[in-house]
Amino acid sequence: MPASTHAQKDLAALTTALEAAEGRLRSIMQTVPDAMIIIDERGRIESLSTTAERLFGYSMDEVAGKNISQLMPAPHREQHDFYLERYLTTGERRIIGIGRVVAGQRKDGTTFPMHLTIGELRSADRHYFTGFIRDLTDQQMTESRLKELQSEVTHMSRFTALGEMASTLAHEINQPLTAIANYLKGCQRLLERIDGEPALVLRDAVGKAADQALRAGHIIRRLREFVARGESDRRVESLPKLIEDASTLALIGVKENGIAVSFRLDPAADLVLADRIQIQQVLVNLIRNAMEIMIESSDRRELEIGTVANPDETVEVSVSDTGSGLAPEVAAHLFRPFVTTKRKGMGLGLSICRTIVEAHGGKIWVDARPSGGTVFRFTLRAAKEEEEANLAK
Amino acid sequence: MPNSQVVHVIDDDVDVRQSLAFLLSTAGVAVRVHESAVAFLAALPNAQGGCIVTDVRMPGMDGLELQRRLRENKIELPVIVMTGHGDVALAVEAMKAGAADFIEKPFDDEVLLGAIRSALARHTRDAENEERRAEIRGRLDHLSEREREVLDGLVAGKPNKIIAYDLGISARTVEVYRANVMTKMQADSLSELVRMVLLEGGAK
Repeated sequence: MPASTHAQKDLAALTTALEAAEGRLRSIMQTVPDAMIIIDERGRIESLSTTAERLFGYSMDEVAGKNISQLMPAPHREQHDFYLERYLTTGERRIIGIGRVVAGQRKDGTTFPMHLTIGELRSADRHYFTGFIRDLTDQQMTESRLKELQSEVTHMSRFTALGEMASTLAHEINQPLTAIANYLKGCQRLLERIDGEPALVLRDAVGKAADQALRAGHIIRRLREFVARGESDRRVESLPKLIEDASTLALIGVKENGIAVSFRLDPAADLVLADRIQIQQVLVNLIRNAMEIMIESSDRRELEIGTVANPDETVEVSVSDTGSGLAPEVAAHLFRPFVTTKRKGMGLGLSICRTIVEAHGGKIWVDARPSGGTVFRFTLRAAKEEEEANLAK
Repeated sequence: MPNSQVVHVIDDDVDVRQSLAFLLSTAGVAVRVHESAVAFLAALPNAQGGCIVTDVRMPGMDGLELQRRLRENKIELPVIVMTGHGDVALAVEAMKAGAADFIEKPFDDEVLLGAIRSALARHTRDAENEERRAEIRGRLDHLSEREREVLDGLVAGKPNKIIAYDLGISARTVEVYRANVMTKMQADSLSELVRMVLLEGGAK
């Protein structure tokens, strides 16, 4: 056989093999669930998987041969060629084989979070990079929403704790101020009955001291008013949604502690008039308390969150636990500030809950469960859909 | 003031009660101090006529509960309520329950003594009050319908947001009405405003 015939046969076999390989690659690119992009050593797009086309909004034809940098936002867009060059010169891996979360940019200009891992492929003198991309939009949305909720509630609980402290302080400080002012004013009266220059001077000084005590009282009153003003932003809210958000926050880590959680929500208890963050704070507080007491004191750990619509246009929310229950003498003043059964507690949680619920025109109380454990209940004003329009005005 | 007119001071804070006793005695007022509403009620059979100055928030029986008990027992001692919380809603409740007056701690001695004097001088009180009432009524008549609605909300102890919600207007608008009401009523503070309306007897 002439050499050329051999060569021809080899070539044909090679071509077939190549076509088969290309076909396999194409089918992989079409079916691989993660988005996949292959570029050459100068950053030009060789191929795009179907998922990648959908994710970025470009078709293969539109971007083939274009620079990959157009699929990323600034500053990477401007820097990408440099990244490639740096890698090819130094061989220093910053992302290849490591993977990281970066932003991608769609055809319409919007960006999204994605997880990117890069593999590299050398063949003869050419050099390719394959990017595997996982869209993190949903995952990040869930995470950031959770974070947002958490920080809102933390901020709010700090703020309310401050308000509660201010209120308690106002009362505690007003008492001695009252005594000071009373004594001084009494002294002033007595000095009025004494003749002579020194008595006159004393009377004046004592009177001024009394005025200062009253001034301190005014300052505290203003502080209280200031804290009270920032207190509430009430809207028509969906109660099941409030409960869902609050329990998501409060129940983090609940599975590890063997606590079984159940919900018993009355479909009629739907819309309420509430400051979302404040009521979430109440719920988080009650749920956390229930969890803590059960982990501390009980093998049976069942938490139930329930709602009931009352005929008087209020809804009742309950959080019940199977913990050790409350001693009656504790239950009596449980909602007062600085009363606590915890070793590491300030005793402000339930007092804040009471302040919030009462500011909403509701009531909060605690019952013992016949089967052991406690139920905390509070009421909120039910709202109707059309009330939203009124509030918005 | 006549001898039979004793001022009964009820406060769970010992220093506040003693300082009040001192202050009132320097003003020539006869005083008895009681550490709680329960203790006062126990001493009541021996109590002389006069008036009561009580804190509103106390452990055990609070000021409101005391007023209720007095009413039940048909004891007509005028009650002056003191609050350390600046708690308007609570004070309103006390006034509605028939308190003669309410004052915020700490207070100027003249404010307290004035309140005690008018509570003790019952025979002149009605006449004086009638005059004062007529004056307040005159101011109330100058309020617009909306202003009156906002005023009623304030007297009911509602925050601006809730008044806005009830009336279907914005909280900001409520603030404007509230400022107008304060000006027209010549009130320096919310508690004074509430006092005026309650004195006039027009609270809803």
